Order: sequence, then C-alpha cells, then structure tokens
Amino acid sequence: MKFSYNWIRELVEGLDAAPGPLEKLITMKTAECEGIERAGDLLERACAARVDTVEPLPGGHNVVAVVDAGRYGRKTVVCGAPNCRPGLITAYVPVGKKVVGGVESDGMLASGAELGINRDHSGVIELDSQVGAPLPGCVPDSVIEIDNKSITHRPDLWGHYGMAREVAAISGRRLKDPVDMSLLPQGPGAIKVEVEDFALCPRYSALVIENIEVRPSPLWLQARLTAIGLNPINNIVDMTNYIMAEISQPMHAFDAALLRGDTIFVRRAKPGEQFHALNEEHYELGPTNVVIADAGGPVALGGVIGGMESAISDGTTKIVLESANFQASSIRMTSSGIKLRTDASMRFEKAQDPANTVRGLARAIELLREISPGMRIVGGVADAAKAIPAPAPIPLPLDWLERKLGRAMAPAEVRRILESLEFEVKDAGRHTFSVTPPSWRATKDVSIKDDLVEEVGRMIGYDSIDPKAPLIPSVVPPGNPERKFQHELRDLFVDLGFTEVYNYSFTSEEAVRAFGLDAGAHMRVANPIASDQELMRASLLPGLWKNVAENAKHRESFRIFEIGYEIHKRSAELPDEIPHAVAAIYDRNGDGAAGLFEIKRVVECLLPGAEVCPAEARPFEHPARSADILWRGETAGRMFELHPRLVESGRAAILDLDLRTVRRLSVADFKYAPIRRYPSSAFDLSVITGLREQAGKLEASLASFAGPLLESVQFVRQYSGPPLEEGRKSVSFRLTVGSPERTLSSEEVGDIRARIIEGMRGLGYDLRV
Amino acid sequence: MLEQSIQELESGSQRRIQSASSLEELEAVRVEVLGRKGALDQFFKQMGKLPPDERSRAGKILNSCKQALEGALEARKQAFADAALRAKLDREWLDLTLPAPGPRRGHLHPITRIQRELEELFASLGFTVLDGPEVETEWRNFDALNIPLDHPARDMQDTFWLDGGNLLRTHTSPVQVRGMERLGPPLRMIAPGRVFRNESVDASHEHTFYQLEGMMIDRDVSVAHLLYFMKTLLTAIFKRDVTVRLRPGYFPFVEPGFELDIKCLICGGAGCPVCKQGGWVELLPCGLVNPNVLRMSGIDPEEWNGFAFGLGLTRLVMMRYAIDDIRQLQGGDVRFLEQF
Repeated sequence: MKFSYNWIRELVEGLDAAPGPLEKLITMKTAECEGIERAGDLLERACAARVDTVEPLPGGHNVVAVVDAGRYGRKTVVCGAPNCRPGLITAYVPVGKKVVGGVESDGMLASGAELGINRDHSGVIELDSQVGAPLPGCVPDSVIEIDNKSITHRPDLWGHYGMAREVAAISGRRLKDPVDMSLLPQGPGAIKVEVEDFALCPRYSALVIENIEVRPSPLWLQARLTAIGLNPINNIVDMTNYIMAEISQPMHAFDAALLRGDTIFVRRAKPGEQFHALNEEHYELGPTNVVIADAGGPVALGGVIGGMESAISDGTTKIVLESANFQASSIRMTSSGIKLRTDASMRFEKAQDPANTVRGLARAIELLREISPGMRIVGGVADAAKAIPAPAPIPLPLDWLERKLGRAMAPAEVRRILESLEFEVKDAGRHTFSVTPPSWRATKDVSIKDDLVEEVGRMIGYDSIDPKAPLIPSVVPPGNPERKFQHELRDLFVDLGFTEVYNYSFTSEEAVRAFGLDAGAHMRVANPIASDQELMRASLLPGLWKNVAENAKHRESFRIFEIGYEIHKRSAELPDEIPHAVAAIYDRNGDGAAGLFEIKRVVECLLPGAEVCPAEARPFEHPARSADILWRGETAGRMFELHPRLVESGRAAILDLDLRTVRRLSVADFKYAPIRRYPSSAFDLSVITGLREQAGKLEASLASFAGPLLESVQFVRQYSGPPLEEGRKSVSFRLTVGSPERTLSSEEVGDIRARIIEGMRGLGYDLRV
Repeated sequence: MLEQSIQELESGSQRRIQSASSLEELEAVRVEVLGRKGALDQFFKQMGKLPPDERSRAGKILNSCKQALEGALEARKQAFADAALRAKLDREWLDLTLPAPGPRRGHLHPITRIQRELEELFASLGFTVLDGPEVETEWRNFDALNIPLDHPARDMQDTFWLDGGNLLRTHTSPVQVRGMERLGPPLRMIAPGRVFRNESVDASHEHTFYQLEGMMIDRDVSVAHLLYFMKTLLTAIFKRDVTVRLRPGYFPFVEPGFELDIKCLICGGAGCPVCKQGGWVELLPCGLVNPNVLRMSGIDPEEWNGFAFGLGLTRLVMMRYAIDDIRQLQGGDVRFLEQF
C-alpha cells in the first residue's frame, strides 16, 4: 500500500516531520515501511507554456518548437510528441540544454507520464492554464510504501485517513476529518435496495446523482492517484478510487441509464450465473458469490468488481453511487475462487467498518461539486443495513497491563494513548479502565485486552521496556531421544567418512518410475510448483540417486548420507512419516565389491551384530548384489548396489536403514558378562563347497553343530583353484570353544570338533580337516 | 711370571675385542679366552699349583681380568646390536609426505551444524526440543494458531496442499500446538524443522527451508522477559553483544506481535549495504502468545501466558557462512557440503 506524504499532511494539522523521519516513526509504532519514492519531481519547476512555432527536424519524427514559457522566457526545444502544434498550451520544464539532431534543445515539453500526473505518454500534456502558471494543485510528493503484510489486521490503514490518525497520535497533532456528513441529503432514496442476507452484506448505501459530466479529472486528482499507483480514468471513476484511498471505503458508480428496473438486489449468485466484468472477463458464478443485480441480472460482483454492461462511459449523465460493506470471508472466498484480487476486494477482506459507507457518499458529494460542477443529487440516501451492535467495552486492569508489558505505566499515559487513537476510556473501579474501541477497529482487529497491550506498547515505544530475566523454577527439560539418536547417527556417518546431504521432500513420477515404485502409492501435491515435485517421497533413494549422478560428474569417489522422512499414505488423519538413513559410496573405478563391503562395515559399526542376508533384488538393485539387514531378529534395512543401468559409469553401494526400527531395537538394556577365567581352545576347519555357497550359511551350520561350548566362529579365508576342482571353493573358519567353569580337556575339544565334522558331512559338505 | 702372562692375555684379548668386525669374530674371542677350556680357564687350572699367598693374589688378578674382558665383550656386543638396529631402522625410512589411506572424516550439513548449536543453547536454558511432521492438518497449521479459513493471513503463506486436504506445514508453529497439547504448561520448547512455501526457487527463495520455532508458557510472562531471552540467545548465537529492538508486526498467533531487529553487526548501526543503510537488520518475528491460541490448545489464558518466536534457521545459516545462493543447501553438491 502506497501512502502520499502530501495527503497525510493534509489530514494531520501542523505535521512538520519530513518524510524520512515520519517513515521511521511509522515503522516503529504502526507498520513496516518498505521505502520512500519520490513522485512528480518535475512538477517542482514545470509551468504552462504555449507553442509558438513548430519546424520539422530532418531525419526523424522530432520537431523544433519555439515556446513561450512564461517566467523562463522563450525557449527552443526539440520535441518528439505527435501532438506538438502551434497554439498548444503544454508543460515546459527547464531540465537543461542538450543537442538533439544538431539543434540545441533548451529544456523539455513533458507528457502526463513524465510529470507523474497520469500514465499518458502518447504526447505532451495539454493544458488550459495561463502561460507561465504552475500546474494547478500539482506538486512533487514523497510516497511511503507500507508492507501489506503488516496491515492485514488493520482495515483502517488501507486508507490515508487511517494512517493519518496514526501519525496524529504518534506526533501529538490534531487529525482532520475530510468527511462532512452534513452534506448528505435527507429523505428517501431515489433507488430501492434489497439485501437478501445481511450477514454477507451488512450495509448497502446508494445515492443517485444526475447531470453528471464524464471527463478527465482535474490534474491534482490525477497526480495524486498516479503517485499512489492508481490509474486515472475519468472523473467519476477517479473520484471513487480517491475516496477508497482516502477513507478505505471502496465505491462503485453505475450508469443509472443502463440499470434495469428501480431496485438494486444484493443476493447470492444463482448456480452457473454468468457475469461480464469490467476487466472484460466472463465469470461463471455460484451461490458462494454475492452479486449486485438489477431486474435483468448481475451488474457487479459485490465487493470485487463492477460489471461491463452498467459501466460509466463518456455519455453517462446519471449515476447510482454504491458505497457498501461486505463480509470479509465471503469476499476473500470469492476473490480467491475466481483468482481476481482488486483494490476493493483487498480492503473488504480485512473487514471494513460498516459505519463508513455513508461517509463515503458524503465525501463523494463534496468531490463531485468540484469535478462535475453541474451535478444534482436525486433524493436521499438509500441505506439498507442490519443493526450493527456497538463495540463492546473491554475491561483493562492496569496492573495486568503492566505485567504484560513488563514496565510501569501511569494511568494517565495509558488513557492519553488510547484516546489519541480514538478509543473511549472510562474508569471502571480501582486500577481498571473500560475501553471501547472505535468502530473501525472493532470489526476484527480489537476485541480483547491483549489487543490493548499492543496499542499502549507500540505507542509508548517498545524501546522503553528493559529486558528482564523471568523468575522461573529451573528444571531439566524433557529429552528428545529420537533427535538425539539421529544426531549420534549423523556423527557416526561423518566419522566413517560420509558427508551429509539434504534433499527435497518431493519426488517426481519419473524418478518413482525409474525405481519401479508405484506412483499411486505416493501422496500427491495438489498444487505442485513443478512437475518434477508433485509427489511426496516414500523413499529417500531416488533423491540419493540424483545426488550420486550429479556428484559423479565431478568426483571419482565420494560418500554421502541423508537422514530424512519417508512419507507413506495411510488411512489415519496424517500420513506415516518414517525416519530413514540412506548412504551411498560411489566409485568410478573398480567392480563395486569394495564399496559394498565398506557399506557392510558401516552396518556393523552402526548395528553391532547385524546380519546381512542376501535377498531377491528389487528393480533398482543389482540383481546379484542385494541383501536385507537383520538386526536383533528384525529387518532393519537394506544394502545393495544400485542397478548399473541407473549409474552412467562407476558403481554405487547403497544403504537404507529404517530408523524407527533401529531405534526401537537399540534401546535394549544390558548387563556386563564377567571376563572368562579359563582359557579357550581354537581349531580351524575348511569346508569344500560350491562357489556360490554363502559363507554366512556355512558359519551358521558350523555353529549349530558346535553346541553350547562354542564361543565364536570366525571366517579366516576362502580359496578356489588347484588342487580344488573347477567350480569348488574351500572356506576356512576358526572355531573357539571354552567354558566359564573350567578348562576343556583335549578330549572334549576333540569331541566337539568331531561332532561338527560329522554334522557338516551329514549336510553333504566335504571337509578338509 | 704368571701375572705378566695374564696381563699379556688381557691386553691382547682387549685388542681383539675392540677390533672385531662381526658378532662371529667376537664370539670366537669369547670362546678362546673366556670359554670353558679357554685361555683364562687354563690360568685358573694353573693357579691350584701355586703357593697359597701367591694363589690369592693371582686369583684377584685373574678375576679382574675376567671381569674386564666380559665387560668389554658385552659392550662390544651391544655396540654391534645398536648398529644393527640403527641400520634396520634406517632401512625403514618412510615418506610421511605421502597421503594417508582410507576415507577422510565426512561433513555435517551446515543446517545440521547450526541447528545443533541452537538446540544445545536452548537446552542449556531449559528448553525442550520438539518435533512435528512435515505433513500437517489444516487445523494445526492454521486454525489452532488463530488463522481461520477466512483470515487474510493465510495469503501471507503460499501453501502446498496435498490430495485429501492436508498440507505441508508452512511454518514450525504447529509444533507449538503439539507441544501445548502434549506437555501443557509450564512449557519451554523449541521446534527446529523443515517448512514449505509454494514459491518459485531462485538464489534467495526456496520452497523448502528451515525454521526454529520457540515458545515459553509460564505465569506472567512479559514483553520484558521476551526481550531478555531474545537478547541472551542472540548474543550467544552471534557470539557478541547484540542490540535488539522490537517494533509492531502482525502475526495472528501472537498479540502483541513484533518484528525483532538487531543493530547491524557489520556497521554497528551506522548504515551499510547489509542493513540497506538502515542500521538495523530484521531478524525474527515474535510476540506474546495470543490467548486464543492458548485456549485452543486447552490452556487457560487467565492463568498462563507466554511468548513465541520464529527464527529463520536457513537465513541464519546463510548469514553465518555468507552463503549467497539458497539453492546450494538442498543441492547435494559435495563440493559445497565438504566445506562445512
């Protein structure tokens, strides 16, 4: 929202703060200012000038004009405007001399856009002033831009008068009301208004005015609208925009001749009802939309935009002026529903003050007298309104206020501040005020005493509050074991050489397909930002895959990991978010075996005692290199080599751990076992078997035959080649046996060994002993 | 006579010991002189034939000769051993400028680093760290935070909606609601985490970023307390004294609401490009918790109140490491990540 400094100064008596300091005060006490822009700087020195002669300048569209520029004298200027002609009164600005097309041009003739009066740059501005006179009512301005987000709760700050009230309160000056209510005509309205549902439209006021002349607005009005970013159109439309920008009351003017019947209906749109809006768009409406209709159908979309068919044109002589109030949520819904935000809808969705409708009409009468001097009011104000309850008083205990702010407050100071913002303050017993907010703050903004803390706090200045340590009991905060666990895991990964990546929670159908996953099983984003981010990741692997592919372009080898959440659809209120840790070891060289065994080492570091059980490969896994990770009897994750078809060159070994399972299993409590006092005995056994026999299985079989005295089985080495036959390998293990109670005799050890050999042979294995 | 012969043996043997060039040569001398049928042994045998007074004298001389030779032999042997060890160790010369094998320590993500730093800081002040899901209900993300459906503040946060009506949390504030529901008052909590806004990505905008939400609920919590905590925390975060100021800011879940600025750490408030010449840098939104928010989470606002704040974790990380492109953080490029 842009605010004209000149405008605010008109409304605050004796305001002497310059725009810069004023901007800082507003930022500290009311709303965030985003900066100050200058507007209409050329107006400072511009004056009306008459074009005396015009000579074409060879080689272009420019002409050489000699003008009578009043106090600046006769000047020769080069001008490119098509409307530059002898006798024209236009604006001359002494901007200095320069040579254009070999001719010295002294100063310039300016267009409306260059002067900052309007957006017309089709030619130089055409005036009807005295030569040498300044442009009437047009002076340079400073425009203060306020961050819209910081005034979403303040319906009153969407107009200059509201901001002027703040400035008056801040600077201790008097506020001038631009509205003269005595101008409103008495008697019944000249048009009937029927409001179907006052909940949607709490008030609809209208006034009929005839003998209107539609023409461009006076320059001062154009300049003011232009300065705050509005586009001057004609005097009637500009007048409604001016009032909106001044007192935050959106208004609309219908061409009375184009309205059918004698009644304005404010009603819900019928299902599928068509509406042709002023922006030339056609909308199909429904019962959630409020329309302003005549006997023939919708003529405006209430609180959002007027209709094309009843719009003001150059030939309009009689208007119906609408000044209404609409329910904020309905406007917000309509506006977001048809994806059209207008200056009107933006204001109405902040919950405007219904008391303001007739103020808008009064202000219109005053402006119309100047900008369409022959106008005549027909009848009185048509005013359909539900009874609007007076704002409820809020009890404000002063000691409570002090406790909230954390500083002492003199009651007189509290009263002064609230009254300067036009709150009504009454004594209500010991150390308590009864505070009634003004109507423009009562629609939504101020309703509880906490709201008053803000009013007092910001005006007294938060910098007047000294930081103070609270007196609170010291307690050990409840822990977050999940987060702690994840942090420990991160440290482990980092110690093992992995670098942490963060990937988006989104994934694409393409990535999901590349992994052979079911896109339909993923949660879908209804309004994705891009087509490759339309699904919620149900696996961290596609993201990691992308990291591998990208980094492989720059690095021969690397290790990365991520801890994040898989998001799975389920029937509960929210999806299941399962923490996972994924890791990759990439190497451009080698056959991938080293990476996989390194991943296995990582598994053994993270999950001591975990078993790696080869399992059937999923579509994205190397068909002969994938395994489940079993820990404490449960599947806790997976390790595999990424299918070489997914990796351009090199190999990527991958780990994927389900951290929910891992953490659940890792909390097991344990007690120490005494160190054995009796020596153990060890012996080696070699099993001759087929090449693809798993060492893990052999180890398990050996252990099963060894009995309770077995301490450990350790893989020693494996060998294939002569003298073994083709397709056979020898796998050697060292078995350690012992007892906590005694030293085993060599006979006992021999018995165990014999039992194992017999058992293994029973399974069909050949043993080299 | 005997005496002289012993002296001759000793001096001769000493010469041979000193000039021995190998352990073998040395051993030969030992066997010849000190061995069991060696030269000294011969003298000992002759000694028996001497008269008693001469015998004891000769015994002394012989013993001293024996000790001297044994000592010399031992010393010489040690010298050989030392030399052998020296030679062996010299052959073990290593080029320590060669790179060490094996992987280097990896790197934590910069957000993890700063987030942990803050978690530890808050924990030391008695705050618990809470988590919430990335997918939230509309109720917890908006309604329970005093942002009903028709509230224009919903436009302040472009929301990612999921099929089925849930959404990706637009701030970490729903974790406040979870914290109040689960732990109740008094409560001191932070919630660092990933949040989502539906906006296009460029060097300074991301649809996915990190926030750290904080909240304290107790009795009679004031603006002065909020200021104290913010100043304490920011001083710890920036590792230097910071000057803070509050100015009005609008957030539906707090009343009054503030924007907290810190005096520019680069120029000290004089004005520079970092603070856009203003002397102050907008850092975080905060405020006293709106009583409606407390009430919706089942807390009686007449008995309890509190403050809440939201720290832009991603922004803090970018400030700390002077990262000028936010996209790096989720880009997964190890050339970037290995710097942390």
